[in-house]
Amino acid sequence: MASIARKNLFEDIPRFLVAQAGIVFAVSLVTIQVGILRGFTRGTALLIDQSKADIWVGSADMVQMELTSPLPLEQLLQARKVPGVALAEALVVSSSRWRTPDKTVPPTKRITPVRIFGFNPKGQLFAPEPITQGSLSALTEPYTVIVDESNQQSLNLKQLGAVGTIASLKAKLVGTTQGTQSIASSTYIFTSLESAKAYAQSGISPEVNCRLQDGNIRCNSNYDITSTAIGVDNLTPPVPEKLSATDPISYILVKATPNQNLKTLKQALEKALPGTRAFTRLEMAQQTRDFWQKRTGVGFVLGLGATVGVIVGMVIVSQILYSSVSDHLKEFGTLKAMGASDWVIYGVILEQALWMAVLGYIPGILLCLGLGSWTLATQGIIILITPLTAGGVLLVTVSMCIGSALFAIQKVTHVDPAIVFKA
Amino acid sequence: MTASSLDLTRLSEHLPTEAPLLAERTFPLDIGRYHTDAIVTRGVEMVFQNGSEQFQALKGIDLDVHIGDIQLLMGPSGSGKTTLLSILAGILTPTAGSVNLLGREITSMSREQLAKFRLKNIGFIFQGFNLFPALTAQENVELALRVKGMPAKAVRQEARFLLDQVGLSAQAKQLPRDLSGGQKQRVAIARALAGNPRLIMADEPTAALDSQNGHAVIELLRRLAKESGRTVLMVTHDPRIMDVADRVVYLEDGMLKA
Repeated sequence: MASIARKNLFEDIPRFLVAQAGIVFAVSLVTIQVGILRGFTRGTALLIDQSKADIWVGSADMVQMELTSPLPLEQLLQARKVPGVALAEALVVSSSRWRTPDKTVPPTKRITPVRIFGFNPKGQLFAPEPITQGSLSALTEPYTVIVDESNQQSLNLKQLGAVGTIASLKAKLVGTTQGTQSIASSTYIFTSLESAKAYAQSGISPEVNCRLQDGNIRCNSNYDITSTAIGVDNLTPPVPEKLSATDPISYILVKATPNQNLKTLKQALEKALPGTRAFTRLEMAQQTRDFWQKRTGVGFVLGLGATVGVIVGMVIVSQILYSSVSDHLKEFGTLKAMGASDWVIYGVILEQALWMAVLGYIPGILLCLGLGSWTLATQGIIILITPLTAGGVLLVTVSMCIGSALFAIQKVTHVDPAIVFKA
Repeated sequence: MTASSLDLTRLSEHLPTEAPLLAERTFPLDIGRYHTDAIVTRGVEMVFQNGSEQFQALKGIDLDVHIGDIQLLMGPSGSGKTTLLSILAGILTPTAGSVNLLGREITSMSREQLAKFRLKNIGFIFQGFNLFPALTAQENVELALRVKGMPAKAVRQEARFLLDQVGLSAQAKQLPRDLSGGQKQRVAIARALAGNPRLIMADEPTAALDSQNGHAVIELLRRLAKESGRTVLMVTHDPRIMDVADRVVYLEDGMLKA
């Protein structure tokens, strides 16, 4: 016996497609909003999640990964002596300014704020992953950088070997990574500790250009070294110095010895390194995510968007189902007149709602997966659709369709069976 | 068995055993009519309230319909025919009076009991056919059989049988929109026969049909009553049906006229 719910749905294909387009839109709205929220949340602490460190040691007033006070490198050396520490490495997080030397780029697009991550490319505890072009070991060369693929265009780094400047020093692209960029932050630049130190110390250099014109000497000052001044290819900065004990670093990443109790080790590290706080990797990631979600309001806005998506979705589905029930009211009245129980009719409406949910969900989620791949590749924005997210959205879709069906059922409940005798 | 005869005995093979036709009485009846009346009404009144205004659609209706009869209910538009039919079908509850169908007083039944009673005992034929447009002729009949509780395995075979009885085997797979008005009404009759009901209530069954189709439907209804012992109560304006009717009552201004 054919399903009356399914037959009702497919009775008028153009109308069905219009209705399903509404549900696809609702599913997409919810998925994208939730995906952006989850992508944003994940992205803000992705580098922490990817690190192999058991414990992150930072300044006592650290707010989140990118907002902290410096520690002297000397504390790294002290940390290595703490019992239970198998390995300790430094991580430098600083800010600077990227400039592209390409004169064909409009002036308003030549400068980009960047967040520099300096780490030991031969180390074991921190590295951006995955490396999609080039290699991590190439960072051992001075003034070399790795960037996320999604930032290549904005930094005007079209291929490996392309060059730009950070502050007043050159930066050569030797590798790319993927999916590491947080949408809440400046453009990430990965480099060695030594290069990071050099970039941090290079600052802005004054420059005066003079030329003879009409018998007069005309000068203009420029507080930056750019390719217009001396040409990037001609920059020959000194080899960066190794970090000394007094140089500032941002974090000490610690790998514990096997079977070491991390709580005990955290306490030992905080005791041995005054003015610091130690976090497990999970705690550090949570601290950073909490900052972005709760203190900045970004999480609230995106969460609100997801909630609005669900509400709008429910309204759309309700309207479609209510309209469908209204169109078939006489048929439902006929069933009631025949003596069918209300549950037979509810069953038809609920089944119709479930079909609408499933047939709207599948193209909706596929659309979002495609859109997610596109935004990641072109904008570096992660719309994170994990199996959990997809399952959750399916649950929400089914719930909102059933909720809408219950709303539509109200109309049938009050239908007068005598309607059937009206021609 | 041939397509021209209405052999409905197979239906009962798939359905639960029927209760005695006249199981119990809840109001006094003429003993002489006890075994012969399918429908008995006494003093039925219906008042519709619209805000502060009242409209009395039916006034003191006393009606007796014998088992196996074709009973016509005629009258001008607005006379209360459809209201009376709705009451006799247990779809509307009268504001006063009693309605006894097949020996059961239905005015005292709950909504659920009425629904079960209709499901078991009454088949409906509507002026507008009321077929499900998304379902084929066969599926429309199958739906009625399923709703009436027939086991899934038997439904398809039974639906084919019923369509065969109304001469529509060839159109079983067609949607209502592809059928003529007469064919649609015959599907509706097949659907009304689903579950082997003892009462058939028809509301203007030939109003939307041309002469040829009207006659075909009338003949089908006549056979329904005379060859299978069903009681057919019909609201109609169609004088052609008077030729096959056993009794005709007229309703005017909410009252029965002799």
